[in-house]
Amino acid sequence: MTQYIQDPAFWALIAGTPLAATAIFRGRKTQAKLRSEKAEAENRYTDLENQYSAAVQEAQVRAEEATKSALKSAMRTLQGLANEQQLAISKLQDRYGEHHILQDLLEIDHMNSQFGRRAQSIAVLCDGWLGRQRAVASVYDVVRSAKGRIRHYTRVEIRSQSNFALTSRAVEPVALALAELLDNATSYSAPDSPIDITIRTVPKGVCIIIDDAGVGMNEEEKNRADQLLSAQRATGVTGLGNPPQFGFAVIGVLAARYGFNVSVDSASPYGGVRAVVLLPEDLLTNMPEPEEQPVSRTPAAAVPEEPGSTAGGLPKRRRKGSISIVPQADTTAPVRSSEETASIMGAFQRGTQSGRSANPNREGHDPQ
Amino acid sequence: MTAPEEQEPESAQLVRPYVITNGRGRLDNDQFNLITLVTASDQVRPGHLDPEKRRLLDLCAGGYLSVAEIAGHMGLPIGIVKILLSDLSADGYLLTRAPAPPAQLVDVSLLQEVLDGLQARFG
Repeated sequence: MTQYIQDPAFWALIAGTPLAATAIFRGRKTQAKLRSEKAEAENRYTDLENQYSAAVQEAQVRAEEATKSALKSAMRTLQGLANEQQLAISKLQDRYGEHHILQDLLEIDHMNSQFGRRAQSIAVLCDGWLGRQRAVASVYDVVRSAKGRIRHYTRVEIRSQSNFALTSRAVEPVALALAELLDNATSYSAPDSPIDITIRTVPKGVCIIIDDAGVGMNEEEKNRADQLLSAQRATGVTGLGNPPQFGFAVIGVLAARYGFNVSVDSASPYGGVRAVVLLPEDLLTNMPEPEEQPVSRTPAAAVPEEPGSTAGGLPKRRRKGSISIVPQADTTAPVRSSEETASIMGAFQRGTQSGRSANPNREGHDPQ
Repeated sequence: MTAPEEQEPESAQLVRPYVITNGRGRLDNDQFNLITLVTASDQVRPGHLDPEKRRLLDLCAGGYLSVAEIAGHMGLPIGIVKILLSDLSADGYLLTRAPAPPAQLVDVSLLQEVLDGLQARFG
């Protein structure tokens, strides 16, 4: 032990230990500090990154909004002009219905309809004005209206009619969606091939089926169409691609907003695309009555509900006339209980018995 | 999407006339004029008739109507109505009757010859 005490190295060791301990301690401390600084820096970096991407997104949204509002107001003007022009053309057609000029007027009318539809489609993508509020119209008329809005409308053949009509708020969106589908169908098929439209009533509503004889769509195109149609992807105006493809984006927006369903995933019997538009029942209504029709006969059937006496207490005479000869179901089945029926039958029997008993050739109450 | 105050006060027909006739604006051989009379025939109508043609036959079911009257009732340009009429009469659903022809005047030269003959004989 003494030899150790005299050893300077021993003393050096004793003096060195706390120094080393302090050094190690300090080292640890700095390391911890550095670590926390690093974590802080990392946090700050992610914060910055988030802020940056948020700013970019915000800028994108703002740019999209600005584009939308600019396009929206521009389209509003164009749509208004197209409508005005259509009215002017209608007046000219009526005035010059007998002249050679009618053919030209019809062509101008057709071009104007296409022009109006283009403006309408862009407006739809910008959440803008869809157009005129329409009266209730038959599904057949809505399909024909859609047919008139595309370039090669004479190739479109409507094979069937329907007894259903569309509610006034659904007329314009459905017509526009159909026009976009027909535009696709005519654009992606041979110039002289026909496009067939079939209207079919199904349990869930009415189906409008558009068959073309085109080249069909590959898987990628189908997926893109499905995405756009199911409105999973809000495209807006900036995501339409170059050259911009409006069709499915417009249809997707309209279908989501008005609650109808469009699918293009099946093949037509001609090898092209079969597009199916399913109109649910809440967009459908009954056919509007023609205006010339006299007041329908239903009010006449309701006449028996009128008060039975005049103000003076006298029995009121009912107007006879167009009451149907066939008795109404609820008048032939009056609300009589079985007791009432029995008492009526009983009264009838008593009557016949008393009548027979009043027969002078017979006497007493013997019925026979 | 459309606020009520944004709606246009007036709107054109939903189905445009060129769609009704599938682009035809004029007839090649125009057998109708404004006063041609038409009426519906007894032929049974098919189920798939266009609404405009059905309405036209309904109008004509009561008796003879002139082309001008029909166009007025239908609210369509006369040229379009004529196309519908010619389609329907070609399929036999309509009967047309030309307006009463103006009195046929005898050829002047024939009268002159008769006069000359009479004068030669008696004059």
